[in-house]
Amino acid sequence: MPNVQSFNAQRARSYLLRLPLFTRVMIAVMIAFGLVGLQGAWNIQEWGALIPRELSLTTSMCSLLAGHPFSLHTHAHTHSYCMGICLCSDLADQIRPALRLVYRVNTFPLIHKSLLHAIFNILALTPLLERFETEFGTLTSLALFFGPLTTIPALVYVFFDRFVLGANHAVLGASLWVFLLLGMEGVRTYKTNPYLVIGTYHVPTWTTPLFMAVVVQALVPGTSFVGHLCGVGTGYLCMQHPSFHVPEQTLIRNLTVGLGYLKFLAPPEWILREIESRLNLLGRLPHYVSIDQKTYGRFGVLPTSASSSSSTPMTDELSHDKSAMPRLLATVLTLRRDPRLLKLPPYLSLLCIVVGVAWLLLLPLDDYSRRTYISENALLPGQVHTYFGGSDQNVFRAYRHEVDALKDKTNLEINRELENIFKGLGFKVGRQNYTYYSAGNTYAGENAYAILQAPRGDATEAIVLVSAWKNVKGEFNRNGVALTLTLARYFKRWSLWSKDIILVVPPDSRAAIQAWVDAYHDAHDPSTVAALPIKSGLLQGAVAIDYPHEGRFEGVHIVYDGVNGQLPNLDLINSVNNIANGQIGMHSFIQERLGHSDKYNDRLKTMLRGMMKQGLGHAVGPHSSFIPYHVDAITLQPVGNGWHDEMGLGRLIEGTFRSLNNLLEHLHQSFFFYLLIHKDRFVSIGTYLPSAMLIAVNFTIMAILMWVKSGAGGISGSTELSTIENTNVMDGKKEAATVKPLVSAAAERELYLPLGIVIACHFLGALPLFIFNHAPSHLLAPFFLVFSILNIFFPSLILKMVNSASARPLTLQQIYLLKSFSLLLLGMFLSSLATLNFSLAFLVGLISTPLSFTSPWPENPAVRFSYTGLLQMVSPTAALLAGAVAYSSSYGSNGTGLLDTLAHILSEAAFGWDVWGLYIPLIVWCVWWPAWLVGSIVVLGQPKATAKVKSA
Amino acid sequence: MAGLYGAAAALRLALFTFFPALPDLLTSRVEVSTPVTSFKRLQEGLFLYNHNVSPYDGGVYHQAPLLLPLFSLLPDASAYPFFTYLLYILVDIATADALYKIAESGEAAASKLFTSARKDRRWGGYVVAAIFLFNPFTIATCLGRPTNVFTTCAILHAVAKAISGNPLTSMLALSFASYLSMYPVLLLPPLILLAYDRQNPANRITSLAQFTGITLLTIAASLSTLFTASWLLTGSWEFFASTYGIQLTLNDLTPNVGLWWYFFIEMFDSFRSFFLGVFWLHLSSYVGGLSIRIRSQPLAAITILLGIFSIFKPYPSIADISLSLAVVPLYRHVFPLMRYTFFAASTILYSAFLGPAFYYLWIYAGSGNANFFYAITLVWSLGQSLLVSDLTFAVLRDEWEVERPEMVGKEIRQI
Repeated sequence: MPNVQSFNAQRARSYLLRLPLFTRVMIAVMIAFGLVGLQGAWNIQEWGALIPRELSLTTSMCSLLAGHPFSLHTHAHTHSYCMGICLCSDLADQIRPALRLVYRVNTFPLIHKSLLHAIFNILALTPLLERFETEFGTLTSLALFFGPLTTIPALVYVFFDRFVLGANHAVLGASLWVFLLLGMEGVRTYKTNPYLVIGTYHVPTWTTPLFMAVVVQALVPGTSFVGHLCGVGTGYLCMQHPSFHVPEQTLIRNLTVGLGYLKFLAPPEWILREIESRLNLLGRLPHYVSIDQKTYGRFGVLPTSASSSSSTPMTDELSHDKSAMPRLLATVLTLRRDPRLLKLPPYLSLLCIVVGVAWLLLLPLDDYSRRTYISENALLPGQVHTYFGGSDQNVFRAYRHEVDALKDKTNLEINRELENIFKGLGFKVGRQNYTYYSAGNTYAGENAYAILQAPRGDATEAIVLVSAWKNVKGEFNRNGVALTLTLARYFKRWSLWSKDIILVVPPDSRAAIQAWVDAYHDAHDPSTVAALPIKSGLLQGAVAIDYPHEGRFEGVHIVYDGVNGQLPNLDLINSVNNIANGQIGMHSFIQERLGHSDKYNDRLKTMLRGMMKQGLGHAVGPHSSFIPYHVDAITLQPVGNGWHDEMGLGRLIEGTFRSLNNLLEHLHQSFFFYLLIHKDRFVSIGTYLPSAMLIAVNFTIMAILMWVKSGAGGISGSTELSTIENTNVMDGKKEAATVKPLVSAAAERELYLPLGIVIACHFLGALPLFIFNHAPSHLLAPFFLVFSILNIFFPSLILKMVNSASARPLTLQQIYLLKSFSLLLLGMFLSSLATLNFSLAFLVGLISTPLSFTSPWPENPAVRFSYTGLLQMVSPTAALLAGAVAYSSSYGSNGTGLLDTLAHILSEAAFGWDVWGLYIPLIVWCVWWPAWLVGSIVVLGQPKATAKVKSA
Repeated sequence: MAGLYGAAAALRLALFTFFPALPDLLTSRVEVSTPVTSFKRLQEGLFLYNHNVSPYDGGVYHQAPLLLPLFSLLPDASAYPFFTYLLYILVDIATADALYKIAESGEAAASKLFTSARKDRRWGGYVVAAIFLFNPFTIATCLGRPTNVFTTCAILHAVAKAISGNPLTSMLALSFASYLSMYPVLLLPPLILLAYDRQNPANRITSLAQFTGITLLTIAASLSTLFTASWLLTGSWEFFASTYGIQLTLNDLTPNVGLWWYFFIEMFDSFRSFFLGVFWLHLSSYVGGLSIRIRSQPLAAITILLGIFSIFKPYPSIADISLSLAVVPLYRHVFPLMRYTFFAASTILYSAFLGPAFYYLWIYAGSGNANFFYAITLVWSLGQSLLVSDLTFAVLRDEWEVERPEMVGKEIRQI
């Protein structure tokens, strides 16, 4: 019997084609009757049903003798072609009604209530009847099914229904045959497999048909439970063999045991055989099954359990006929065993990488990016008239004088003066001390800030204007601070603010503003950073001015990258763009691309620069520190030579503040995850994330492959294991245990050593992490160089340690497992990271791709060493060095050497770790470096060579 | 053993000492603390209790009343956290000790009614205890100090006592667990079977019905003692509604790693009680089936049930998975029969990392939403259910191979 899991169109077709004759005829007759039943003229159901009242309790002969009067139906007088019993039409009138009605005991299984009923019964009956027929022969089946096997249950049913229950329920349909055959099967199963064990209870298997009868009764409305029971009962009886008649020869046992009492019901075999040979039925009829099934049958031996015997020819057919039918599930299942399948994943993995990179390169195209748009309706950028200008220019010049006078003063003096100015304007002023220690340096200072209380607000929300005394490059932000003071004076005059405005003047753009933002959100460390004396409400947005530029400027550069690669809401950037371009007539730029042509090349460069900034994740302006607190912030830098003056920038800031002032709730409508490729084109997360995910998935694919390979018995090498066992036979009780032939298909994996190495490597990452975050800054570069050189020998060192510590060198299986675990972790970390910092995940993933294709290559030292070389080139330390070289060549043309650049980068990383909460060092040292380390160990580990050395 | 326990305690103490911010960080994580186990909420209840206010006022504290006198005996947790740390470390070690005894008894591979053909391929108590003690989930639980570590300890002691032939002590331990967390009461049927199988031959009760009666009486007596003590302590029966009532009605919908909260956030109120019934019925429906089907191995039933509870209970946390992972190594002998270990382990691992990331995106970065986190809790539960179903398969296959030795090593299909 076919079961669901191995269903296959080809098999099903072949099964149908091989159905034996009697089964076919019965199916055809049932379908024909079903179709006939569709018409309305002749009520075939009425004609053929087994209606207890229409039959007497005994056979026709009894009723004939008794002269029992039957209540007749008007129709169906002339149709008297009963198939089992031959009737002459010219019998005496007396017996005619009785005989006419006897046909019902044989026709009822062929007729169904509806076509659906017929179809279901045929579906249930076909496999059972087919089995019966192939076992006992067509002629026997014919004789039995139009003789005892139908009449006996029918009469039993009539007896029960009419005389025991006193009812008159007509029955129809082949379900009686189904249950009869099920009963037979049940008894047969009982012979081979007597009990179904549930817990401690032994349920006899012959009860299954009874359960099925109950289930059918419960599920299908209008079925005859008594009728089904009669069928099952007859089935049981037929199969009960007389106890004296059990031959021990297993080959023919099934036939005799199968027949049981049936033998007495069936016509004598010699008669059937005679008929068969006389009429040459075997030759004439297609699909005829001989009585001597065991000699003429296809299988030679009778099918006892269909699943094993029928599948054998099937697979042959499958392998012969490869072209015709579509392979369904079974084909997949056979493919699963195909060794070629194991060759696929590396290519799949490579494909993932290629597609991932190609995907990224496609992003700047018009089809994959979108124009930006203002999503938040409340912003209304550029819709208000800005009044900053005119006499404010004089105010600005005056404040610039004041700022110039403070240029060389100390932080405290500056803040004292700023406090005076702000207090004079009517602001509340606060000052805050902070001290940070990082890489042996101390960063201390004092922030000054002022709060303009909103005339129309309730101090629950605030907007921040930051202008650091020095920008991120350390330049004196002369015009920025002056403009801030001017704007403060100007804003104070307006009564339309519904949000407080906070003006912050930190002494620098890196540590000071971080201290202020931390303290504003009460997330500061009280021992180093003081709390803020006065506060306002929730920060809704922040704009920083970075304006050391002297003279007139061309446009404004919008800096938007936050710490750890988080980005502000796209609506803020769009608003500023909108106001600058539409209202002020000022150019705006992003990612330092001043002359952006909006062509593919420029778009790609903009995107890559943005990704680089995001990936490095350090603060690129005073605004960066706000973004981790979910405060959307940008820095505005005037750049280029043009005709705009500080009043233009002032109006831009005024317009932006008016828009932010309109906000009813926090910016939330637009995107937080995007890649800007032009000031008004962007790629959203749904479009770009797959590229990083594909890169991460490539590691996972290889991890799964390695796991599968490590479990495949042949690979870990029973040969290899046994040789090792031979060498270690005296001290190898553990080995003996592992070599023992295992019950399951997969070889047992030796997990602990690989798992231990991978975990240890990841914990080992804490060492460089600690060193490079705590060493004093002047030692950072030398430490790093020493570490890089050590790093080259690290993998072989660890390998040597492992090999000497464990009882025997790493086996191939262990190396596979090592790679599997390491890549699994890498894939997992990178896919998690991709949701937080896409660019970092992409960059680390891309550089780590060689780790996917590591392999020991025991026979091929040249490949091994060249691959080791490749891995050395993509190690984190090498990548960092390369980055330093590139950085110093592009920026450090003014005499700074490689070492200085390196020291700068490393101290920046340490500063980020200590002050900004940068997690990139963690990713590098505890994710990337361990993965690289394990990858190198995989390449260097030589399972066979070392084993030979040991045995020699 | 002393070395192992010492190392585990030293590791925990080191984490407590060198990363002083870590315990508080973990305490506030939804993965560690649930409304019914949170250490922070315990502090709140403790404060109210020490000021002679009913701890259940304010609807924050949902834990058993008897925890309060225990913790008020300890010095204040914020001023002298060391004593609290010490208590949690000791509880972990006591749990590991129970686990050690369970593993050493060999009950997992050779119970009274069933002896596995692979019973020699098992881990000793040392390894099992070490796996528990150094499981990152256990360590995070210990640092996060949720109160269900006491439940874990009580459950494992109940099992250990049942195996060692002390049915009454075992029932006492189980009633403690049930008193603290309620759901362990569902473990009663397999535990009674386990205790019945493992009775002391000297004074053995042959009738299962009689044995069940006695154990049920024990449970009832000890639970009513605990309830009476609680009543005396708080002065009212209010604690029933605030502790077990919360678990039954799921009034607190704080996100957690389970499947209930999101479902009941989305639920219309009119269907709420129906689905509460359905969810609880679903959770308890496994008990009967497993106890009957794996009658010959009651410990396997307990193991599988613990796994199921950690997926489907109303307020699960990583403390529950650390318990369910603690008992899985007892079945080392059927590991070769498991088929999806790699998949299940990687699913759990992936979701363990993606979960906090998505929670961060939802709560802190504001760039994700609740669906992110819920999706990951679904994956998390998928991983766990894979593990549980695979273990069930392996246990059953092992049993089947003893019955049908000719089928050993053959491929079979599960239908």
